[in-house]
Amino acid sequence: MITVTGQCVAAFIFGSTVGLLVQRSRWCNTSALRDAMLFKNYRNTKALLVAMMILTLGFTGFISVGNGNPMRFDVGINQFIGLFLFGIGMVLAGACTVSSWVKTGEGNIGALWALLFLIIGLFVSSLLWSFTYWPPAPATMTGQPNLAALQFGFADALTLQQKTGIPAIVFGLIQFAALFGLYRLILRKERALQTARGQVQPEAAKSSPQVDAAMPEPAIGAVMAGAAGASGSYQEEA
Amino acid sequence: MDLFKKTLDPIIALAIIALLDVFLFVIVGAWTVGGGETMLAGLVAKYVLGAKTLARIPFWTLVFTPTWAYWKIYISLGMGFGAFVAAVLSKEFYWRVPRHLSEWVMITIGGLLMGIGIRLSFVCNVSTFFGLTPEMNLGGYLAVSGIVAGAWVGSFIYKKVLEA
Repeated sequence: MITVTGQCVAAFIFGSTVGLLVQRSRWCNTSALRDAMLFKNYRNTKALLVAMMILTLGFTGFISVGNGNPMRFDVGINQFIGLFLFGIGMVLAGACTVSSWVKTGEGNIGALWALLFLIIGLFVSSLLWSFTYWPPAPATMTGQPNLAALQFGFADALTLQQKTGIPAIVFGLIQFAALFGLYRLILRKERALQTARGQVQPEAAKSSPQVDAAMPEPAIGAVMAGAAGASGSYQEEA
Repeated sequence: MDLFKKTLDPIIALAIIALLDVFLFVIVGAWTVGGGETMLAGLVAKYVLGAKTLARIPFWTLVFTPTWAYWKIYISLGMGFGAFVAAVLSKEFYWRVPRHLSEWVMITIGGLLMGIGIRLSFVCNVSTFFGLTPEMNLGGYLAVSGIVAGAWVGSFIYKKVLEA
């Protein structure tokens, strides 16, 4: 087992590398979802899917050989409700948990402001928990379902492996195939969009940087600036 | 170095991050940010309110007892540090301040909603996409459905605000 200091050092090294790579690639989880929905731009969505494919194989592979540290995590309806609120919040703030840290590192005061209010929101809602105790952690965080509290206990690749006796990697391969299918679908859609743009407006398609996968940010900024009638330096960076 | 001159392909960046995340999964656990942020909120509250006052709030005694010896905090701090180094080396570091009041309002509301969401679900977007879902956790699937629905509603509001 690794010591607590070792864990913290490993986490810091991992975090620093992630910060560097995310800063250099301008990847953002928020735009992976928002740009796909608003602008039909899939640059960040594709990267997210590739990472999830690698992770699915890696995690389920290590779980199959009895290795790794899967989160022992009670599943509940609260995950859906909480992330629904989070999803609205991240689009409004123009930053998710990763990009708010990365943009703060770049000197973005707006991102620091989002982080500050994220922490305030966390603290204020922790007071609310004192009165309602829902989700009822840790009283029901036992791994057992508690349907009255809308908690379903543990349910992941490890529990599947334990209950069925089938190695987790088998389920992992199924999920990999599903993610790969989604990736292919996006590629096909991108190609269709490109031809459509090429046929209707060959000039616009050539000059529009939005179809240029390498640098889509200015295009998004321009679209937003055009829609808003003013350019926001913060949102352009999203 | 070329890395600090050109924008890196996000697929390459995320593939490297995924491989490192698998390594982290083997030694401590998958990449997550919400847990570290929750702990940071507790540490800030402990500093501002004092340990005695904080001990009266059940959440900070039953679920998260504020401590600096929690690895997830250092992922968050590391991301800020790594981005700062990368931004300085590629000469992209400069102070950016939102110019319009509407931006400040949206960031404030968005930040609050993210905090409330993390607290309620015990999950953030990172553990959703880079932890729970690849572990095939049912909570991950619920969280992905939630975040996609939320992002859709958020995009709708965002568009309305931009058009107004």
